[in-house]
Amino acid sequence: MTMQAETGRTRRFPINIETISNYVVIGAFCAMLVFFAAFAPGFLSGENLYNVISNRVVLLAIVALGMTIVIAAGGIDLSVGVSMDLSSMVFIMLIAAGLGGFVGVLGGLGAALCVGLLNAVLINKLKINPFLATLGVLFIGQSVQRLSTQGGVPIYLTRAEFAAPFNAIVRSSLLGIPTPMIVLALCLVAVYLAMHRSVFGRYVAALGVQADVARFSGIRVLFHMSMVFVACAVLAGISGILLSSTVRSYVPFAGDSFLLDAIGATFIGTAISSERRPSVVGTLLGVLLLAVMRNGLLLMGYNFFWQQVGIGVLVFVVLGLSFGLRKRAD
Amino acid sequence: MTQAAIEMHGVNKTFGPVRALMDANLVVHPGTIHGLVGQNGAGKSTIIKVLAGIYKRDSGTVRVHGQELDAITPAAIEACGVHFIHQDRLLVPTATVAEAIFLRNEPHIGPFINYRQMNKRATELLKRYFDLDLDPRTLISELSTAKQKIVQITRALANDAKVLVLDEPTAALVSKEVSSLFAVLRRLKADNLAIIFISHYMSEIDEICDVVTVLRNGSDVGVVTPAEAGIEAIVQMMTNRDTSEMYPRRDVTIGEPVLSVNGLTLAGHFRDVSLEVRAGEILGITGLLGSGDKELVSTLFGQSVPDRGEIVLNGKPVSFRSPVQAVRHGIAKIPEDRRAHGVATGLSVGENIALASLDQMSGWGFVNTRTEAAKTEALIKELGIKTPDRHTMVKNLSGGNQQKVVVAKWLSCDSQVYLLDEPTVAVDVGAKVEIYNLMNRLASEGKALIFLSSDLEEIVEMCDRVLVIYRGALIGEYQRGEIDADRLLAAASGAQMEQEGRSA
Amino acid sequence: MTTTIDAPNGREGQLNSGNLSKLAIRLGAFAAFAGIVIYFAIAARGFTSPFNLTNIVEQSTILGLLAFGVTVVFIGTGTDVQRGGIDLSIAANAGLCAAVYAVLMRQGFGDAVSIVAAIATGMIIGLLNGLAVVTLRIIPLLATLAVMNIAAGLELVLTENTVIPVQSPLLQVIAFGRFLGISTLAWCFIVISVLLIWALQYSPLGLRLYAVGGHHEAARAAGIRTGRYVYAAYIFAGFMAGVTSILIVSRLSASTTGTGLMLLPILAAALLGTVFSRRFIPTIGGTLLAALFIGVLANGFQLLGISSYWVAGVQGVLILCVVAMTSFAKRD
Repeated sequence: MTMQAETGRTRRFPINIETISNYVVIGAFCAMLVFFAAFAPGFLSGENLYNVISNRVVLLAIVALGMTIVIAAGGIDLSVGVSMDLSSMVFIMLIAAGLGGFVGVLGGLGAALCVGLLNAVLINKLKINPFLATLGVLFIGQSVQRLSTQGGVPIYLTRAEFAAPFNAIVRSSLLGIPTPMIVLALCLVAVYLAMHRSVFGRYVAALGVQADVARFSGIRVLFHMSMVFVACAVLAGISGILLSSTVRSYVPFAGDSFLLDAIGATFIGTAISSERRPSVVGTLLGVLLLAVMRNGLLLMGYNFFWQQVGIGVLVFVVLGLSFGLRKRAD
Repeated sequence: MTQAAIEMHGVNKTFGPVRALMDANLVVHPGTIHGLVGQNGAGKSTIIKVLAGIYKRDSGTVRVHGQELDAITPAAIEACGVHFIHQDRLLVPTATVAEAIFLRNEPHIGPFINYRQMNKRATELLKRYFDLDLDPRTLISELSTAKQKIVQITRALANDAKVLVLDEPTAALVSKEVSSLFAVLRRLKADNLAIIFISHYMSEIDEICDVVTVLRNGSDVGVVTPAEAGIEAIVQMMTNRDTSEMYPRRDVTIGEPVLSVNGLTLAGHFRDVSLEVRAGEILGITGLLGSGDKELVSTLFGQSVPDRGEIVLNGKPVSFRSPVQAVRHGIAKIPEDRRAHGVATGLSVGENIALASLDQMSGWGFVNTRTEAAKTEALIKELGIKTPDRHTMVKNLSGGNQQKVVVAKWLSCDSQVYLLDEPTVAVDVGAKVEIYNLMNRLASEGKALIFLSSDLEEIVEMCDRVLVIYRGALIGEYQRGEIDADRLLAAASGAQMEQEGRSA
Repeated sequence: MTTTIDAPNGREGQLNSGNLSKLAIRLGAFAAFAGIVIYFAIAARGFTSPFNLTNIVEQSTILGLLAFGVTVVFIGTGTDVQRGGIDLSIAANAGLCAAVYAVLMRQGFGDAVSIVAAIATGMIIGLLNGLAVVTLRIIPLLATLAVMNIAAGLELVLTENTVIPVQSPLLQVIAFGRFLGISTLAWCFIVISVLLIWALQYSPLGLRLYAVGGHHEAARAAGIRTGRYVYAAYIFAGFMAGVTSILIVSRLSASTTGTGLMLLPILAAALLGTVFSRRFIPTIGGTLLAALFIGVLANGFQLLGISSYWVAGVQGVLILCVVAMTSFAKRD
C-alpha cells in the first residue's frame, strides 16, 4: 500500500494507482469474456459473436460516438433518443408516402439536424445548461412523437412494396461486408479523425478539460459547442435510420433505451483511456463490454430484466473505481 | 502578562517542494489588535489557514487560550471562539442576512426557528456594532461587498467570538466603511477580544494595530509596535532580501509604441486610465488588492468591455468584445490563476502549446502533426521546459514549467503584446529567475510587456517603467531607478494620499 | 500569496434592476398559473366542481411527493444539475419499492412487514446514491443514472414485467377512504407537505441543508458536516420513494410497470418550483405549486378534449422557459 503511494508520485514506475485504474476496465472485460466462454453455452460460436456485433452494437456504437463528442466537450446530451426517434419517424413516414429511400434518409437526417440545432441554440444562445436543455428537448420530442402517431402507435411497413429501400440499407453489402457495418466503419473513421486528428477535436478536448483555458486562448467556444451538439444529433439520426430499416417500422420512443448505454459506454471508455478523456477507441470498447454483458447473460438464461440490473451494476462499479481511484491518485 | 489567546510555535508547512512556513511563530494576546504583515508568499495566508484548520500543519504547536490543539477542524476552532473573516466572502448567497448571521446557532422555540427573534437580534447587532439599518431579510446576494463583509463580522460577534481573524477586511470597502469598521474593532478590543488583522494597507496597520508580526519567506522576522518602530522599519523588514543575484539584467532598446490606451474607464473598477507601452518595454503596474489593476488588464484582453475610452494597437483603434478578438490582434495574457485559466492541466504539453496557433499548423481542418511536433518541440527546447516529452500531461510539470508552457503557447502564435498577471505567484525562486529571463527575452525580441505584480521588488527590478494604481486611478509613474520597493509600497498603499484623506 | 481575483463589486443600481426582473419573473409565474386556472374555469366545463378539484389534488399527489424527494436533494446539493446534485433514480426507485411491496403482499406477509420492507428498500437505494456521490465522488448525474438502471432492472426482475394486483384493507382505506370529505390520498399530500415545510423552511436542520446546497464551502466554514447532509438528502429521497410507492399501489390496486416514466415530470415539478420562490431556490411550497400546476394542466387538457400527447411537450417548454429566464435573471 505504502509502496504504491510512493511510486504513485515518482512517475517512472509503470505501476501506480492511476495506471491500475486504467487496467480495471480491461481486466473486467477479459474476466467477463473468460467467464462467459466458460459458463455461457455457445458464447464463443462465430454465429453468436456475429450476432452480438450486428444487432445492437452497430446502433449503439453510432449513438455512443456522438455522445463521446459531447461528453468530450464537457456537455451531455439526453436527447439522443429523440434524435434517433424523430429521424426514424420522418424516414419511415417519407417511405410510407412513397418518396423512396433517398428522400427518406435525407428527411430523417434533416430531422435529427433540427434537434441538434435546437439544442445548440438553447445551450449557447439562451445559456441553458446542457443537461436541462436536452432534458427539455427530450420532453418536447416525446410530445412530437405522440402527436404524430396518435399517442405512440408504431408504423409498420412490412408489406413487400416497401421492402426495396430497407433492403438497400440493411440487406445489401459491399465486398461481402454488410452495409450497416460499413456505415459504422465510416462513422468510426469520421469521428476518430474529427476527435483525434483535427483542429476541431483539439478545441473540443480543450473545452472539455478546461473551458476557461480555451476561452483564454482565443477559441470560439460557442461555435464549437454548437457543432458538438449538431454532430451528436446527426450521428443519432443515422443510428435511427438503421434501426427502422432493420425492423422495417418506426416504434415510438425506441431510441430512449440507447441513452443510458451510450452514456455508460462513453464513461467506461473514459475510464480506460490513460488521459481520462473520452476517446473513440475507449467508447467502442465500452459498447462491446455492454453488448457482451447483455449477450452473455442472455445465453446463461437471464432475461432482459437481469441484464439491466447487470449493466447498472457494471456501470456503477466502473464509475466508482474510476472516480475513486482517481481521487486517490490526485 | 495575561494568558495569550493564540499561541502558534514552530509551525511548518510545505506544499510539494515549496516551504510555505518555516518555524513560524505567532502569539496574540486578548485586548490587542495584532497586525500580520508580509509580502505575497511570505506565509500570511498559510499560517491563518493552518489556524483555521483548512491546512494541516506538518509540525508545530497551536494553543488557544492555553489549550493545546492537535488536529484542528473548522468546527473545533470555532468552538474555541476563534472566528475567521475570510478574504473571499464565504456566505451562502441565497440566505438572508439574519440566516447567514445565525447559521448553526439559530434561535429556536422547540423545533422551530424563531425567525422573529432571529431578525430582531440581527437588526440589533447590526445597529449596535455598525450603526447600520439593514433589513435582516435582505438576501446576501443582494448586498454590496462591504455589507457582506459586515455580515461576516456580525456572524462572528453573534457567536461570542473571543478571537477574530480578519484577512484583508478593507480591500473592498470605501473610506466611511473603513472608519466605522475601525471604530467597531476598537470597541471589540475594549471588550477584551483578540483581533488578528491582515492588511496590505500600511497606513491602516499603523492606525489600528497595537502589535505587528512581520513574516518573510515563511518565518516571523520580528514582532514590533508600529507606534515605536514606524512604518518605514516594518516595510524594511518585509522586503529585506538579497536581490543582487535574483534579477537578470538586459540591454534595453525601446522602440515604437505598440499599445496605447486613452481615458479607459470600466465603471466600478477603474477610470480615465491612459497609458502606452512600447516595443521592447516592460511596463509594470502595481496596486493593492481591489485597486482595479486586474480589471484593467482583463479589459485589455477583451474579457470586459470598457464603458469609455479607446485602445490603440499599432496606431489603429481597436475594440475587443471577447478574448477571441484580442488574441487575433496579437494580444497574449498570462493569467494569474495558471491552473484555472492558463494551462489545461489535463492536456499534454504539446497540445497546450499548440492550442492558440492550431490554425497555422493545419490544413483542411486537420492538424499537421509533423509541423506541430516540430514547432512544439522547438519551443520546448528553446524555453527549456523540463518535461520528459511533449506528450506529458501538464499537471505533472512544476509551476515554473507550467508557466513556460503558457508563454510557449503565445510565442507559437506570434503575439506582440504580453499581459502578465502575477506570473511568479507560487513558483519557487529558481523558476522565478527563469521567468524573469523569459520576460527579458520577450522584451529583447521587441514584444511589449505589461507586467502586473504585487511583489514590489520584482516590479522595481524588472520594469523599465512602473505605474501605480490606487482605488481605480493611476496616481504615479516612475522610470527605472527612480523608486525602490519601500517607496513603491508606500505609494501603492496610499501613503501619499493620507493627507488628502481616503478619497475613494 | 493567495490574492484571489475579487468578484466584481456589486453595483447598487444594477442590483435593483436585477431585483425587478426577478420580481417580474416570479409574478409572471404566479400570473401564468392563475391565468391558466381561470381559463380552465371558464372554458372547461366541470373544472371547478369540488369533485374535479379533489381529483386534481389526488392526481398531483404522487407526482408531488416524489418531486419533494428530488427537491430535498436539490436543496442539499444545489440546482446546478451538472455540477451539483440530482436524483435520477427516484422514479425507478418508487417502482422498485412498489414491486417489493406487491410481491411481499402476494406472498402473504401482511401490510406491516411489506410497507417496512418497501420503505427500507427505498432508503437503501438512497444510501447507494449517497455512497456513490459523497464517498466515491462520482458525478451525481452519472451515479444516480446507474442506480436508476439497477433499480429499474430489479423492479423488472421482481415483477417479470407484469402487473401484480394487490388487495388489502389498508389499501382500500388509502384509495377510497375519506376524512372530512377529503380523500386519504389528498390527506397524505397535505400532511407530508406541512411536515416538510416545517422541516425545511422553519427548522434549523432545513436552514443548514440550504446552506450546504447554497454554498458548500461557506457551510463547511460554518462548521457544518456537509457530507452527512448530502447523504441524508439522498436517503430521504429514497424514503419518499418508498412511501409514495404504497400510494401508487393503492391507487392502482396493483404494482404496475412504467413508474420510471414519471422521472421527467418529477424533475419538471422540482425545477419549475424554483420560480415560485422569492430567492429562486427549490422550496417545498414551490414544488407543491408546480406539481399542482402540472396536475391542472393535465386535467384541463383532458376536460377540454385536448390530446394528452401535448402534456410532455408543454412540460418541456415550461422547463426551458423557466431555466432560460432564471439564467437571465441571475446574469443581471
